[in-house]
Amino acid sequence: MSRATETALVREGRSSYEGAAATAIGLSGVVFAVGLGTLVDILDITAPIAGIRLSTVLGVALLSLGVGVIGFGLASRLDYVDTKPQPSAGIAAAVAFAVVWFAIGALVAGAAGLGSISWMAVGLVTGTIAFAATAFSREDIGSTLPTGSVAVLGGLALATGVIGPGWEWVLVSYNATLFGDTAVPVVVMFASLLTGWAAAKAYGGFGARGRNVGAYVLIYLIVLSILSVLVGLVAFVVVKGLPGLFHGFSIGGEQVISWPFLTNGASLLADVAGVFPALVGTIWLVIGAVLFAVPTGVGAAVFLSEYAEQGRFTQVVEVATNGLWSTPSIVFGLFGAAFLIPRFGNNKSLIAGMLTLGFMLLPLVLITSREAILAVPDEYRDASAALGVSKWKTIRSVVLPAAIPGITTGVILGVGRIAGETAPILLTTGGGVLPGKSAAPSVLGGFQVSASPPFVTNPSLLEATSALPYQLYALITAGLSGNIEAPEQFAWGLALTLLLVVLVFYAIGIATRYYFRKKLHQ
Amino acid sequence: MSSHTGLGIQDWRKPVEQRLQRTREFVTETEPAALAIVVLSMGSLLTAFAGFLLASSWTAIPFATFLVSTGYGWVRHQALIARAVTFAMTTVTIVTLGLIVVFIFVESIPAFQYESATVFGVSVPGLGMFIQTRWDAVTDPVRYSLLPMIHGTVMVTAIATLVAAPLGVAAALFIAEIAPPTVRELVKPGIEILAGIPSIVYGFIGFTIINPWASDEFALNGGSTYLFVGLVVGLMALPTVVSVAEDALTSVPDSMKDGSLALGATDWQSMISITLPAAFSGISAAVLLGVGRAIGETMAATVMLAGTQAIPDPLTNVFYGYETLTSLIAANYGNTSGVHESALFAAGVVLFVTVLCLSIASQYIEARMRRRLGGAE
Repeated sequence: MSRATETALVREGRSSYEGAAATAIGLSGVVFAVGLGTLVDILDITAPIAGIRLSTVLGVALLSLGVGVIGFGLASRLDYVDTKPQPSAGIAAAVAFAVVWFAIGALVAGAAGLGSISWMAVGLVTGTIAFAATAFSREDIGSTLPTGSVAVLGGLALATGVIGPGWEWVLVSYNATLFGDTAVPVVVMFASLLTGWAAAKAYGGFGARGRNVGAYVLIYLIVLSILSVLVGLVAFVVVKGLPGLFHGFSIGGEQVISWPFLTNGASLLADVAGVFPALVGTIWLVIGAVLFAVPTGVGAAVFLSEYAEQGRFTQVVEVATNGLWSTPSIVFGLFGAAFLIPRFGNNKSLIAGMLTLGFMLLPLVLITSREAILAVPDEYRDASAALGVSKWKTIRSVVLPAAIPGITTGVILGVGRIAGETAPILLTTGGGVLPGKSAAPSVLGGFQVSASPPFVTNPSLLEATSALPYQLYALITAGLSGNIEAPEQFAWGLALTLLLVVLVFYAIGIATRYYFRKKLHQ
Repeated sequence: MSSHTGLGIQDWRKPVEQRLQRTREFVTETEPAALAIVVLSMGSLLTAFAGFLLASSWTAIPFATFLVSTGYGWVRHQALIARAVTFAMTTVTIVTLGLIVVFIFVESIPAFQYESATVFGVSVPGLGMFIQTRWDAVTDPVRYSLLPMIHGTVMVTAIATLVAAPLGVAAALFIAEIAPPTVRELVKPGIEILAGIPSIVYGFIGFTIINPWASDEFALNGGSTYLFVGLVVGLMALPTVVSVAEDALTSVPDSMKDGSLALGATDWQSMISITLPAAFSGISAAVLLGVGRAIGETMAATVMLAGTQAIPDPLTNVFYGYETLTSLIAANYGNTSGVHESALFAAGVVLFVTVLCLSIASQYIEARMRRRLGGAE
């Protein structure tokens, strides 16, 4: 890094500048977080902070950030601090700012009530000015002036209350209204993102290092927000679902653990309505899909990587596999409805769902198994062959055992995915909205042998059956109502159960991968 | 592709002759008993498949024969039967894809015929689905235009791509290039888990939380909006983009980046001018696959959208949420019959063909990238 070449003297002169820039980055982060909080209604923009409305406070913060960022640029341009700016901020930044300023100009003109031609013209003018300011001035000015001005403008609008609580803009042709509650957080978040980036560039002293810092700040922010969305989603479902899931749960007593939500059906007689039939349905669907897809997928992977010569055939199989992988789940559902249902008694059935999910699981198993088998070093095969072991015996006792970890991981992750699929079983398996306990399929006890074709039958395989994701969908389309108490709580409990089933598969899959990888590196 | 010359026929004959020769050798070398059992096993499997296709109740007999003969062969001639059975398993993917194509197309034929339109005196089946905008299965005139749903799918996919592509590529850059090992070991499974959250759970949150919130926040007529469906679907397509783009980024040889870093470039400069351009085709393949996922996403759209088949005015109105191709099928299948049901299959055909094309395009791009980084060019 170029940092190593800096001398102590230069560093001293810049330290207060860097400190100010770092403070600006931190303040941008805080403002962004507060903006996010107001967007999702955790905070209220009218909430008083030291006697002043939050939206006004945010406006002042943005204003000072904007002025500060422009100040960083000026200080660098007037050579008060030692920075290494390049002649221009670059065409990418120029285009981005042109777009931003076109949108700002157009929005302001539109909110002022101008016609569509005039707001376009205003937008074009502001966009062109921003483009010129970014592209044709030195980097320190080009990357601070356009961003700082956005923050100054937004800050002024918020601080003076032009945009604030009670502000509204009716989008007539869109049949929607923008309110201050939404506009303030959006302005705040957007402007603070820009000032954060510009301040990060100033912190790095512009130039190559400044761009490095600026880009890293943005990327860290993106990853952080993705992860927080993930954590937020899971936590939200858990919090909402726990009361339903543990309704009537008790430890001790006659049975050691009584968990009515998981062991009851939904009927008027049961004290606590439960999801037992759907849970059993999901388990059987997964078992059926695995029984079909895993042997087939692993066998095909063995043939493709050990026997087949690379050529037209393997290419076609590869294209077909990847094509199947990306085929939408609803198309699999249509296929199951058109192909399997007429062949299994002409109504929705458990076995049709099993096979449909099996078709979906097949490409996942095939792709991961093939990768796992290809990852087995050729030395293993050569050593075995050198001992005079035949090809098939080598595959069976050398290649497959070495590939098992990879295959297992792939299968578990694939199962996690299909366990949550709704669209295919919606069309092929069906079932009731709130099935009673007796609706749970009993596949093992259902086999019957007869003298006439098809000789072996199993009525419970041929019946429409509920499953966790399907039941959730059915509840939603029924408007979250039904013959049970607290249907909404029931639905959240169901959603949590489904999420837990899927996440447990993922957790096991990921843990298996770590376990085997660690073992491999020992 | 050199077979378009005058020698084409000879070129084509040679491999066939070679194959015949090899087959003859194989037959003479193999024990007759083993050969017989393989032929019996594969023959009965084919018969069982044919019987299943014809929906014959006698399918059980050839299938049992297959199981018994394969079981016997497994004990006596394991190597040969294993090879034959794994080959049969390999064909399953091709057969499945073929069956999907055949069955969905066959079911959609009545709708395509119903919606024939005449161009220059030639009747083109299915054209009526794309040149007018009326979908109404109940009141006269009964028409099945797919344009409203295609518009919905385009809106949702466009918004989803705007979310998933930049965020996905940034996250992939983070995982592949920036993150310290311990952070990477935390972020990667996190994104994988994001892929695991079932779409109906997203839909449920959308239906109970986001739709009422949006309705309130924008004073809408009902809470269904393409805007928020697109955002949710973008979140769901994100993991696909991340994992494929990350594969592409890590496949760029370290020697290329090291060269750049050794010249004094910063990490970000190396990423922008070396890694990203080298992995560009892989990243575009990732975005294409993400688009495919967004197009095919069903349950969140079904639950969150209003389910009316209309085109909003103005076209870009993201505050309306009517119907996508996927939600049309999911919401209506089972309550329909005849040409109406067939029209749902036609929607499935449009979906399937679009996504398959995207998949093939991304595979082609990826293969080209692998060739280039392999040093062939």
